[in-house]
Amino acid sequence: MVFNSLTFVVFFALVLALHSMPFGWTTKKVNLLIASYIFYAAWNPPFVFLLWISTVVDWYAAQGLVKAQRQSHRHAWMLLSVIANLGMLGYFKYGQFLLDNFSALMASLGVAYQAPHSDIVLPVGISFYTFATLSYTLDVYLRRAVPARNFLDYALFVTFFPHLVAGPIMRPTELVPQFAEPRRASANQLRFGLALMTLGLFNKVVLADSFLAGAAEKVYDVDKIPGALDAWFGTLAFSGQIFCDFAGYSTTAIGAAMCLGFAMPDNFRFPYAAVGFSDFWRRWHITLSSWLRDYLYIPLGGNRHGEARTYAALMTTMLLGGLWHGANWTFVVWGGLHGLYLAVERVLRTRFSNYRPGPLAFVALGLLTYALVNLTWVFFRAKTFGKAWVVLHGMLGMNAGTKPILATPLLVFVAAIVGGIVLTHWLMRARTLESVVARAHPAAICAVWALMAFAIVAAQGEGNAFIYFQF
Amino acid sequence: MPSSISSSDSRVVSTSGAERLTAADRPGVAQPVPMRDIPVQPWNRIFLGALVLFVLLMGAWEWHWRAFGAKPTIANSGGLWAMQRRRIDNGEGNATVLLSASRILFDVQLDVWEKLAGKRPIQLALEGTTPLIFMEDLAADPKFTGHLLVGVAPDLFFSGYAYRGDVFKFYLKETPSQRVGQWLSMHFIEPYFAFDDPDFALATVLERQDWPARPGKTWRIDVRKLRVSEMDRNTHIWDKVENDPEYRELARNIWLQHFTPNEDTPPPEKMRQTLNEQIDRAVKAVTTLRARGVQVLFVRPPSAGAYLEFENKVLPRARTWDVLLARTGAPGIHFEDYPELQGLELPEWSHLTHADAQRYTAALYRIIERDFWKPEPPR
Repeated sequence: MVFNSLTFVVFFALVLALHSMPFGWTTKKVNLLIASYIFYAAWNPPFVFLLWISTVVDWYAAQGLVKAQRQSHRHAWMLLSVIANLGMLGYFKYGQFLLDNFSALMASLGVAYQAPHSDIVLPVGISFYTFATLSYTLDVYLRRAVPARNFLDYALFVTFFPHLVAGPIMRPTELVPQFAEPRRASANQLRFGLALMTLGLFNKVVLADSFLAGAAEKVYDVDKIPGALDAWFGTLAFSGQIFCDFAGYSTTAIGAAMCLGFAMPDNFRFPYAAVGFSDFWRRWHITLSSWLRDYLYIPLGGNRHGEARTYAALMTTMLLGGLWHGANWTFVVWGGLHGLYLAVERVLRTRFSNYRPGPLAFVALGLLTYALVNLTWVFFRAKTFGKAWVVLHGMLGMNAGTKPILATPLLVFVAAIVGGIVLTHWLMRARTLESVVARAHPAAICAVWALMAFAIVAAQGEGNAFIYFQF
Repeated sequence: MPSSISSSDSRVVSTSGAERLTAADRPGVAQPVPMRDIPVQPWNRIFLGALVLFVLLMGAWEWHWRAFGAKPTIANSGGLWAMQRRRIDNGEGNATVLLSASRILFDVQLDVWEKLAGKRPIQLALEGTTPLIFMEDLAADPKFTGHLLVGVAPDLFFSGYAYRGDVFKFYLKETPSQRVGQWLSMHFIEPYFAFDDPDFALATVLERQDWPARPGKTWRIDVRKLRVSEMDRNTHIWDKVENDPEYRELARNIWLQHFTPNEDTPPPEKMRQTLNEQIDRAVKAVTTLRARGVQVLFVRPPSAGAYLEFENKVLPRARTWDVLLARTGAPGIHFEDYPELQGLELPEWSHLTHADAQRYTAALYRIIERDFWKPEPPR
């Protein structure tokens, strides 16, 4: 079920009530586990089996790793986990993509081959929970963690509903220890957790779905050629939409976990105030970027084997990171562009290592970063390269004789909300939400909280799925 | 992202003043249990204050829409449609099903029909949407063996336009969670709150303010709220359309916008091609349905004023309705052929008043019973 649904409101109220009952800690964990399976089955019950497969394979792989005496056996257990998880991900997420590309390759070689259409349904959240379970086995393999003491704690780490389908991607060392001792939210944790959930849902339901999605859809999903203003506003709208959608999910998840007494890590740190792309990736989808760094970039050699190998590792990581987002070459290009940006930034930082920008140059570099990030969003949002080129041409003022697409109110919404997001990120770039809330007047917090809650209800969201569920 | 490129610009501090690290700051190591600080504030007072303010704001919002004339109504959602469609899956395959765009939805009153027929039909009509998608669905569903009444609004049926076409996909893919959400909403929210209507959604309300027009952008006013529905999709026109002259005028002006060609209007040749394609689809669906013993009846509900003039000019009966009946071989009831279906009031030219919808339903049912679907003789 999605957070922005009536079903979740009832579900979460029941879970909170159960969790505050005077049951033993093991019973409470069993309750949470069952609730998490119900949460997942509410999309499509049979896909719970996939979740079980991923859970069980990595449980036994980690046990095998601990018991293995020889390095080759440790390798084998690790490979079992990698093959099982990536195999499942590959079949469900990339099966049709691979077949289609194979057909295209054959056609280019003059061989007529029509790939069968398989109608494979992508299980929601599979990219997230396979990465979570993989990190469990890989951390044990890399001797960074010991296996969970019991299956219940481990299964709950994989399945815990706040992070299950769209992250933050949790590491076992972040969550499993939290299940060791009884946890229950204090009154203040519960209230602040609810406030965070309100903020997250406000981002998703009000800003992303109600005010920004429409402008992006009118530019990207309609067969019209946009001029410069429409192309830029459609893309800016998407930049705001995807941030509010995904950061909104993470904030709601963090709030939900906090209401139950658990802590989850930050996944976003005001990314549109990033100066440079290494800074951007320290602020955007932090749990994915750090996952890719720890389990892909560093094992590929990282920066330990000379410049050429570093750039190769960087590009490989970003290209695969792009592909993780979806089975389409547009996502690969998105990742490739970010890899290119990071590589260029690395060259510049090496060549101009003594350069320290002044305040104006600092802001200008930040805005340049944001503009270049927007160019990558074109490939992320467009369903085809044809559409991406049309929008890019528009952004560069190369589409002549176009007719306006976006009406005045949509232009105003996008300018006000995206402008507000970027400004907020700059004001908050060296702070945490908590530090700002701590200094605010209680009446102001009260008013903002009530207004956000009012806007969520008045916006009448249709329970749209979060964008990242498709990844 | 890579650890090789450090950045000291993203350091942030928490409420305690200590640096708050993330996984981005700890490459290649086990990530520790996250620490989340709670800002020091009087949270109990803040929570209660926010709750009171929220209730006051919601109360004011509800009062505003009730003062505008709105009453709580069941949302005509995809979930509600899917519930009705599932009745065919769940043992009511021999029922009478109503398909159409909004005219049969508004004009056929299920209570009146039930009183006369003894059985309540399944209302599957959807506003702004050609019924062909759903005819094809029922044609492909062997469970459906009943009677099928298909309303024909010429500008939708013969253009293939499907404003709510996504509803069919929703029905096919509706998740258990969405079903529960639909049930909760229609039992605990929609019957009690007038503000819960897509027309009164925050973004919609703001978008419909009097914004200056963007030069070169054709500005069209969206269709406004016109209906009131019940749990089984029994629907009638909103009394504000009947009784508020200003609102009625607005509704008429919205239709008028569609009667003038604009840049989205297809060329005549394309329109002819589309028209033929729709009739081809109808022929195929009707043939399949009739082969299974389903009785199909087309109905052309009344329209009036500028709407009727537009339909007669752009989609005249001889090129549309008559061809449809001739090619499908299915019978039809055109309101112009029956005096008892004429002389009714259509406040905004397209849908009947609630009272006339009841009269129309009774008259329509009697014609159907007399001339088309004769009741089975008692055994």
